[in-house]
Amino acid sequence: MTIINTSADRRTLLKAGLGLGGAAAVGALPRRARAAGPDKINIAFFTETSPSAIAKANGWLEEATKANINWIEVGSGAEINTAIAAGSVDIGIGIGSAPTAAGLSQGIGYQVLYIRDNIGPAEELTVRKSANIKKPSDLIGKKVGVPFGSTSHFRLLGFLKTNGLSQKDVTVLDLRSDALVAAWQRGDIDAAYVWAPAKSKILAAGGEVYRTYDKLEAAGYVIADLIVARTAFTNAYPEAVAAILKQENRALDVWTSTPDKAAEIIGKQAGVAADVAKADLLEYDFVSPKRQLEEKWLGTPGHVGRFAEVLLGTAKFLAEQKSIRSVPDLAVFQQGINTAPLAQTLV
Amino acid sequence: MRALNPRAWTALSAAVLIAAWLAATWGGFVRDLFLPPPGELWDGFVDLLTDGYRNRTLLEHLQASLWRVFAGFVTGAAVGTLLGLAMGYWRGVEALFAPFIEFLRPLPQLAYLMLLIIWFGIGETSKIILLFLAALPVSAVAARDGVRNVSVQRIHAARSLGASEWQIFHHVVLPSALPEIFTGARIGVGVVYGTLIAAEIIAGSSGLGWMIVDAGRFLRSDYVFVGILLIGLMGVALNRALVVLETRLVHWAGR
Repeated sequence: MTIINTSADRRTLLKAGLGLGGAAAVGALPRRARAAGPDKINIAFFTETSPSAIAKANGWLEEATKANINWIEVGSGAEINTAIAAGSVDIGIGIGSAPTAAGLSQGIGYQVLYIRDNIGPAEELTVRKSANIKKPSDLIGKKVGVPFGSTSHFRLLGFLKTNGLSQKDVTVLDLRSDALVAAWQRGDIDAAYVWAPAKSKILAAGGEVYRTYDKLEAAGYVIADLIVARTAFTNAYPEAVAAILKQENRALDVWTSTPDKAAEIIGKQAGVAADVAKADLLEYDFVSPKRQLEEKWLGTPGHVGRFAEVLLGTAKFLAEQKSIRSVPDLAVFQQGINTAPLAQTLV
Repeated sequence: MRALNPRAWTALSAAVLIAAWLAATWGGFVRDLFLPPPGELWDGFVDLLTDGYRNRTLLEHLQASLWRVFAGFVTGAAVGTLLGLAMGYWRGVEALFAPFIEFLRPLPQLAYLMLLIIWFGIGETSKIILLFLAALPVSAVAARDGVRNVSVQRIHAARSLGASEWQIFHHVVLPSALPEIFTGARIGVGVVYGTLIAAEIIAGSSGLGWMIVDAGRFLRSDYVFVGILLIGLMGVALNRALVVLETRLVHWAGR
């Protein structure tokens, strides 16, 4: 099912092409890169309720890049890191800021090109109603499940730290989101920190939200879902990368203009009902391309925004946790953000 | 060519490997992300020894893993061996259990990991049951084949001398089957060991297998390598221990 009429689409693509041509004329791009696009693009993605699923379902990326897209499903940002380090993935859609901060610190050759969403309340602590957990200290002696290495894990540890709790007071268990739901239903854990659809299932099975995100965001524990691309790939095929980001913009437009229609397609891709998908989607703050280019987020080409500091802060926390060995300078994270392709989509 | 001392060959292969490692890392051909140099590996090891990993010392992780391997293997091998002996001795028992054993043996453990979590929870029980299920069919098949291979003449000879069924089993069948049971046990330890990581990713927070998986998530290749070295050496030690036990207990094997 195609949603947007194709003639308009062809025009916008043409415009994007002209924009790129202009950039190339300035001398920013190598000659060969303009001559040929990639034959095959390896894209890692999550099965999740996000607008990216619309672009995938409609084959927009294939259409826009004229390339074969090898869609590789992953279960964690760590898998994307490993695959990009090995050179088997070119673009990762939906990787969390925590694994990205880890990856940039470890010197993986990739860059952040896009902030898809500010996670906000979409990943949140859920507690068992019957366990009567009302304040942080009520968690003492309880078991909390969370997928280790994820943005949720980062938030949960931040929550414990800011409330003076240690992992000796609270048992933090490493569970993948599907196993988390099973453990919850058996009553093995009293709390979980996770995203949809696992979160929705837990809430439906006797869970309630324990709000942590607002205070954590204020304390600097901002988490976001990003699009990253192998630096060598972006340098070789800047048009293809910009075309892919453009389709991401287009998918976001579908969600903002026709949420019900979007929720139906996204729900089908994620394997949940349309109304569940819509409820999940409403919790995310999808950052429009224009806002991404603001100082608060990625900034503009030549002037990197404050998101580099968010990544640095995340990396510092991960180093404290001994998840990563050392934290590089802010400059490394600034170089790890490339807004040129995104800026091109708005020309 | 004169035969070289086998120990010299072993030393040579180790030296070549270490030299290649040094050349690759110190020469700057490989980034530490892909292969950490010896110095970083040592630092990682010292770090793990002094500070531990995720609120547990290295020794605690080692103990957790050893205990799981031990509990899963001992229970699985005991039940499997008894079942296998019975299956070899009585055709009826064989007919009853063989289909399940045959089905279970090649089944990848990750296939039923989720079921174990739903049935037995995320604690030690499900982990040990997973290892138990890995050890059981291997031991059962070894014990059954051991009994089957007992020469019929020996049994007939014992029977004609007036031995009771129990005496035949105890003095003829069991001693003849023991070497195969031990071989089965050694294979079983290998299988249990190979299943350890699958078991420890069930709601982990302890164990060497879990440590390797968790460190791998952040590409901490130094911890991953230390974990692999430890888990490998522990496996060699376990196998050696079983070989020693075997030569003591079934000294008649192969004679």
